[in-house]
Amino acid sequence: MTPTEHRVRGVDHAAFPTFDPVATVRFYRDVLRFPVVHSVCAAGWGPEKHPDFIHFFFDIGNDDRIAFFYYFGHRPVGDPQARGDAWARLPEGTPDFFANSRHLAIHVESEEDLLEYRRRLDDSDWPVEMQVRHETIESIYTHDPNGYMIELTRALRPVTPQEDLDANLTIDALLDVLEEDPEPTLGTLLGRKAELIVARAADWERAQQAVQA
Amino acid sequence: MTTIYVLDVPENTSLPKVAAQDSTVTVGRVGPYFEIVAEGPLEIDRGATSCRHAVWYSIVAGVSHGTIVQHDKNALRVEPT
Repeated sequence: MTPTEHRVRGVDHAAFPTFDPVATVRFYRDVLRFPVVHSVCAAGWGPEKHPDFIHFFFDIGNDDRIAFFYYFGHRPVGDPQARGDAWARLPEGTPDFFANSRHLAIHVESEEDLLEYRRRLDDSDWPVEMQVRHETIESIYTHDPNGYMIELTRALRPVTPQEDLDANLTIDALLDVLEEDPEPTLGTLLGRKAELIVARAADWERAQQAVQA
Repeated sequence: MTTIYVLDVPENTSLPKVAAQDSTVTVGRVGPYFEIVAEGPLEIDRGATSCRHAVWYSIVAGVSHGTIVQHDKNALRVEPT
């Protein structure tokens, strides 16, 4: 893909509501030591009855930011005892894997850096809940004071070019099987992906070798 | 012939080595993938590969002429179809 086609440059900010700015500032500024880098204090305005609010930002590295909205006088909706987070409470019976699927992962450069954040969290009211070596990354996880799942992760090795090919074949296979069956299985996907591997992987490798030559 | 494909990345290379120890199995290449072909069922012992769980459960890139009938902490077994 050429630079002209792919012009975006990472996350500007990801924004979430909070009902507990005291704990949120403790967690992000004091425990993780993410600098406060921006804030907006705004009076409510517009056709809808919008509350006055504070929009505040923490630097998560690389000039990217995580941001929060605190709305004056606005109370949480839903059962506060139900599982979920400040943005929404989940229906009873929602399984753990589904609840934890939505999360923010923040990158660190090394094992040393990952363990430093582990120490900071373990010394706080929000200790690390798990540390996992995945396929090619190692991660620590906790939930912030708002119930949002936060991951810090490091690469175990650089990503190889063939993993980009593999990702593209996976997505093409998934779209293909969904066209024929709205409820496919991993088995049907792997069958279609094998066909795509046979059709495209050797040509991809030859093209890679030509570029390198 | 029961065939599985495994991407050639550092954490996956033990599986084709273990598979090749079976005289009924042939390990070849298609681009950056190992092509592992068995005359009958294909069975790989996880312990022999030393793959950690996250690697083991995502190691299969494709399956042709076969169905995965077991993929758990003990083994991967693919039956011919």
